[in-house]
Amino acid sequence: MALFRKKTASDESYYMASQWTLMWRKLQKHKLAKFSLVILAILYLGALFADFFAPYGLEEFSALYKNTAPTKIYWQDEDGSFSRPYVYGLKKVNDRKTFKVIITEDTTKKYYIDLFAEGMEYKLFGVIPSNTHLFGLVDEAGNPARDANGKALARIHLFGADSTGACIFSRVLFGARVSLTIPFVSAAISFVLGILLGGISGYFGGVVDNVIQRIIEVLSAIPSIPLWMALSAAIPPDIPVSSMYLYITIILSFIGWTGLARVVRGKFISLRKEDYVTAARLAGVSDLKIITKHLVPGFLSYLIVNLTLGIPGSILGETSMSYLGLGMKAPATSWGVLLKETEDLVSVAQCPWKMIPLIFVIVTVLAFNFLGDGLRDAADPYK
Amino acid sequence: MSETKQPIIQVKNLGVNIKMDEGLLTPVRGVDFEIYPGETLGLVGESGCGKSLTSKAILGINDKKCTSTGEILFRDETDKVVDLLKLNPRGKEIRAIRGKQISMIFQEPMVAFSPMYTIGSQINEATLLHITRDKKKAREISLEMMKMVGIANAEKRYDQYPHEFSGGMLQRALIAMALVCRPRMLIADEPTTALDVTIQAQILELMQSLQKELGMAILFITHDLGTVAKMCDRVAVMYLGKIVETGTAREIYKNPQHPYTKGLMGSVHKIGSLKADRLFSIEGTVPLALNLQPGCGFYERCGDRIEGVCNKIDPETINLGGTHCVACHRCKRAAEKEAVTE
Amino acid sequence: MSEIREKDVILQVRGVSKVFSSKGVNVRAVTNVSFDVRKGETIGIVGESGCGKTTLGRCIVRAIDASEGEVIYKTLAGEEVNFLTLDKKQMKPIRKEIQMIFQDPYSSLDPRMTVLDIIGEPIRANYPKMPKKEREQLIKEIAAKVGLNTTYLMRYPHAFSGGQRQRIGIARALILNPQIIVCDEAVSALDVSIQAQIINLLRDLQKELELTYIFISHDLSVVEHISDKVGVMYLGRMVEFGETEKLFASPKHPYTEALLSAVPVADPDVKMDRIPLQGEIPNPANPPSGCYFHERCRYCTERCVTEAPELHEVDGRMVACHRAEELSLRGFNYDEMQ
Repeated sequence: MALFRKKTASDESYYMASQWTLMWRKLQKHKLAKFSLVILAILYLGALFADFFAPYGLEEFSALYKNTAPTKIYWQDEDGSFSRPYVYGLKKVNDRKTFKVIITEDTTKKYYIDLFAEGMEYKLFGVIPSNTHLFGLVDEAGNPARDANGKALARIHLFGADSTGACIFSRVLFGARVSLTIPFVSAAISFVLGILLGGISGYFGGVVDNVIQRIIEVLSAIPSIPLWMALSAAIPPDIPVSSMYLYITIILSFIGWTGLARVVRGKFISLRKEDYVTAARLAGVSDLKIITKHLVPGFLSYLIVNLTLGIPGSILGETSMSYLGLGMKAPATSWGVLLKETEDLVSVAQCPWKMIPLIFVIVTVLAFNFLGDGLRDAADPYK
Repeated sequence: MSETKQPIIQVKNLGVNIKMDEGLLTPVRGVDFEIYPGETLGLVGESGCGKSLTSKAILGINDKKCTSTGEILFRDETDKVVDLLKLNPRGKEIRAIRGKQISMIFQEPMVAFSPMYTIGSQINEATLLHITRDKKKAREISLEMMKMVGIANAEKRYDQYPHEFSGGMLQRALIAMALVCRPRMLIADEPTTALDVTIQAQILELMQSLQKELGMAILFITHDLGTVAKMCDRVAVMYLGKIVETGTAREIYKNPQHPYTKGLMGSVHKIGSLKADRLFSIEGTVPLALNLQPGCGFYERCGDRIEGVCNKIDPETINLGGTHCVACHRCKRAAEKEAVTE
Repeated sequence: MSEIREKDVILQVRGVSKVFSSKGVNVRAVTNVSFDVRKGETIGIVGESGCGKTTLGRCIVRAIDASEGEVIYKTLAGEEVNFLTLDKKQMKPIRKEIQMIFQDPYSSLDPRMTVLDIIGEPIRANYPKMPKKEREQLIKEIAAKVGLNTTYLMRYPHAFSGGQRQRIGIARALILNPQIIVCDEAVSALDVSIQAQIINLLRDLQKELELTYIFISHDLSVVEHISDKVGVMYLGRMVEFGETEKLFASPKHPYTEALLSAVPVADPDVKMDRIPLQGEIPNPANPPSGCYFHERCRYCTERCVTEAPELHEVDGRMVACHRAEELSLRGFNYDEMQ
């Protein structure tokens, strides 16, 4: 019913609003999408400033802390009065009855949590050298909780530690860098391939169209996990981590473009029949101009929706490939690599905190889905 | 209409409101009309004037966002009067009226039928619901109706799917579906707008002959002044959610009083009449019925407005004699003046 | 108009046909249509849906390529060219002289462009070197001419109602200073009162700019109002073509007669007796033999079944009916309907 669809804001800014402004306004009405956008912004900021937010670097681990639970944070002194939050270090104790070595808190010395504490040296964005972390441990005198060799006297693990004794919280942040950017890079590659091949298919039609469509059909008929396995088998096993990243991205986008190419082709064909395109042709506008000025802007918003809805797939793709051992491997860190720790039931039962990375995967996937949903509603503000 | 007859439906002060983020949308604002048995009332207006929402309010099939106010008094076959707005829109009572006593035909016959079922089974649906449970009997009733609306070779057509019908035939089938329960009132929402002239003429004539045969009342909603002239006994002109003028077709066409009606009549070229060089046209466009202030809705576009009156006070409806009523300050003043001089 | 002066003819449509083929089925949308258009006049093309009037219009402006036939166009420079066979390079300077106005004011404007860009697009394409200031001045002039408020040019189409959008479409068609404008159902999607505004505007512009219109519509009253001559189409063929008043007062083709009798007149006192048409419009993929109308014609003879009538002149008019000379058909009585 036209009556409901009619936008009723009558201010001039609405009349002069471009497609993107209108989409943005419509998206803001979608509360879940807006909320998801905030969540994603937080996650991406976390990944971007992982060096700063993470208290420990990837190389910092401690055998003492192997498989330990999240560090307990105390707010009260022994006498019950409130104090600055502090933690205890760990010590090895021999159980007198069983002669088993158990690890317990060393309650002799308190280490206080300090904001903007000194820690491991790093280079922010690879250029700005710094050693300030969002939080860290200091002793009563305010000195960093390290011995002369720079080894940590006590550690704080918000999400507990993994089987190497590394901080899961820090690893989640560093892993986010990989897990959250691979989908984007592979989406970008799919985007280019999809527009190009879909565009060619839709514009030229005929034999070219037929060939491209058949290729797409064949590609999408291959089940994805065996295809990943086949492709990752082609990656030499001894390559450095950074190249691995590139390969995975390419593998993922190899599958991703087909759906997009179909969307582009369909939109191309339907938009070509619009009256305004005919009008432009009659006015003598060149074919190239028609494509760039009318056709591409016409379906760009749909592509963005499609991509957003495709990102969760890539995230899950990367995670499952790494989980299966086909993708990233330790020492590289991604969410999939982190989840590999939860492979056996015993480790899950004994160290349930190792499941925390899974929460991040789920939240991210949901956030992208909700955002895509909102974008889809907003994609065509004219209808 | 004769004095003794009771109206089959009486719409009193009907309003339809929609709450939106930007304010209150009032597409229908206090509509009154009544229809007598066997009569055709034409509800005329441009897009966005609220004519479709009015008709859907009668059947209680408006969107959930809409709230209807006022009264819609329907006299059923036992002469009992019910207020349709008081009934639960998804309840048993309204469903017994909808489709059986009042039914509706829509503009797009292609959309009104499901492509998955045969025409016959879709016409049967209402029969099986309201008249008989016996499938054989229902088929007979449906076939009879299909023949009545001029579908040739009805037995064969009965088992065909909508895509095998042409637009005109489909509209006939739609009419058959609407009339199969012999309703006492038919709402026709732009029933011929999507059809070609020759088909349109056939459908209009069919509706007229069926009306005579079945004695039903028709609420005929359209923007086409030509079909109204051909079809309707009385005409109600709607603008911005209000009826601005009502009267017999002759009163409205030959002696329009409201400036909007006058403008509307001047806007159409009467085929066969001497060519005027220019058509009369109303300036501007229909405003959006959002957060409306008191005053005449036509004020902004009216060439005959009275500053300080028309934009401040809602015009009341006055009777100009007979059935001819108009809601206009200017007309009221003229009528008062006339009364004084007499 | 009575005196035929050959030099005034601006467009000669000659035997234009269009066949759409898909999956081995050939559908003749337009068959052998010919007529002449004189400068400054309005030709109305009427017919029911599927009669090929829109296809014909699109063939004339070359939005689609005709399968057969010629459209001889006399350019502003005075030379006669076959518009349908020009190649891209030859087309470029001439294309702008024949423009089009579309039916749907919503799909004919790109929602992602401002009104300024929409109206200015043809200028950018044809005069890329024109300075921005000059172009904008031109856009403003043309916008004012079609009754658009020039302060709103930075707005996007969604800010405008159907009538205003149609004005934008008209401005876009006018900015290249065309000679001929094909109006494809240009007012059909508009409300009655807005229709009148646009029709008046088209007439005013025609007088001012000496435009020639080919006005395609299914609405006979609009066509009767605006056209000097009318062509009636049925199943892809032109069945009658002649001066409006003559054609409406005394049609020569039985289909025209039936069509006219079906038009609802906005006057409750006028009750026309409709001439019933049997059956429905045949499938254009499988047209009847002989005269396409014979199955539904009440004057049908044996000859009509076998032999297709050619468009020939009868009484100052072109008619495609074997019995055009002998039949006396009924139209609108102009004297009675005042």
